Amino acid sequence: MQSAKMEPEVALLNASLVPDIFPVLAAAHKALVSKSRESLTTRTLHSELVYNYAASKHISESLKRCGISDQMSYILAVRFNASDDEMTSVTNLINGKEIDLEELEPRSNRDQILKHFKIPPQELAISSLSDAITCRIAARDAL
Amino acid sequence: MDTCQTGQAELGLLIKQGAEARVYLSSFVGRKCIVKERFSKKYRHPILDSKLTVKRLNAEARCMTKARKLGVVTPVLYGVDPVLHTLTFEFIEGHAVKDILLEFGSNGIVEERLNDIAAQIGIAIAKLHDGGLVHGDLTTSNMIVKEGTNQLVLIDFGLSFTSTLPEDKAVDLYVLERALLSMHSSCGDVMEKILAAYRKSSKQWSATMNKLDQVRQRGRKRTMVG
Repeated sequence: MQSAKMEPEVALLNASLVPDIFPVLAAAHKALVSKSRESLTTRTLHSELVYNYAASKHISESLKRCGISDQMSYILAVRFNASDDEMTSVTNLINGKEIDLEELEPRSNRDQILKHFKIPPQELAISSLSDAITCRIAARDAL
Repeated sequence: MDTCQTGQAELGLLIKQGAEARVYLSSFVGRKCIVKERFSKKYRHPILDSKLTVKRLNAEARCMTKARKLGVVTPVLYGVDPVLHTLTFEFIEGHAVKDILLEFGSNGIVEERLNDIAAQIGIAIAKLHDGGLVHGDLTTSNMIVKEGTNQLVLIDFGLSFTSTLPEDKAVDLYVLERALLSMHSSCGDVMEKILAAYRKSSKQWSATMNKLDQVRQRGRKRTMVG
């Protein structure tokens, strides 16, 4: 869970909730803007990314649901402005095999995503999962 | 972003200026996007002005997401910035319905295409109204037909609000009717086609249609007898 400080700082997301990289980029963009204005809601830039991705105002719940737990076997690691060395140390942190980002779509848990983001069937008919999630990330603070 | 108009904050290339907002072309993490900036009214007290603008901004974001949940096609919202008073949306490739109808007016009508667009308009408004959402500014310049898929996309929810009153829904339709009559009468009775699709898709059409007849009688340059 994203509570402690660690080197190198990295955001660890539950990859089953990520159908596509775009919403993660939107969450990252938002986090970066908040950081540049010194108005982060969570303690670090990387935990802010996880919080933004959850598209919920509830901080601890978001970090729990979209972040990782010890049992999790499918993780997306995200770091801002990472150098090759930093990414190598991130890979070393995780005991597992690195796979391609193209695997995000087939390995995502569609039902879990629909449930977590509360996406109704009418919306699915006109939109991709990725777009639906991105809208929620963007509009969270407006609701 | 190679050609940017230099404003105080470089939001992108200015492509349109309206009464309430400026629209810029830009990119959001690599994707072409639209940035809509609601400008502050200098005649207002600054604190009040900021609060009002943010309120309107949030209302627009909320109405758009509500419309999406109801199954109405709108651009994807990429970001909301309360400090810069901007909304960032996906860029929709295609022509505004206004331009398509004007082209029909000057170069001849493609019957099939017109029917398809009218039907989509009727269905989209029906979904909005049944979900308790009124668009507020239904004109042909606020509807875009997406290139390739020919899907109708509704934009500009800046004047929209939640209402279940048949009066509000009827006025919403009436605004569209007047807009069509003034700009696109050469395309024939498009409104009738739209209303036909509306009646088919909406569950609460009868109350709204009755109100529409009343609203029509009230309009400008109408003789009120009774």
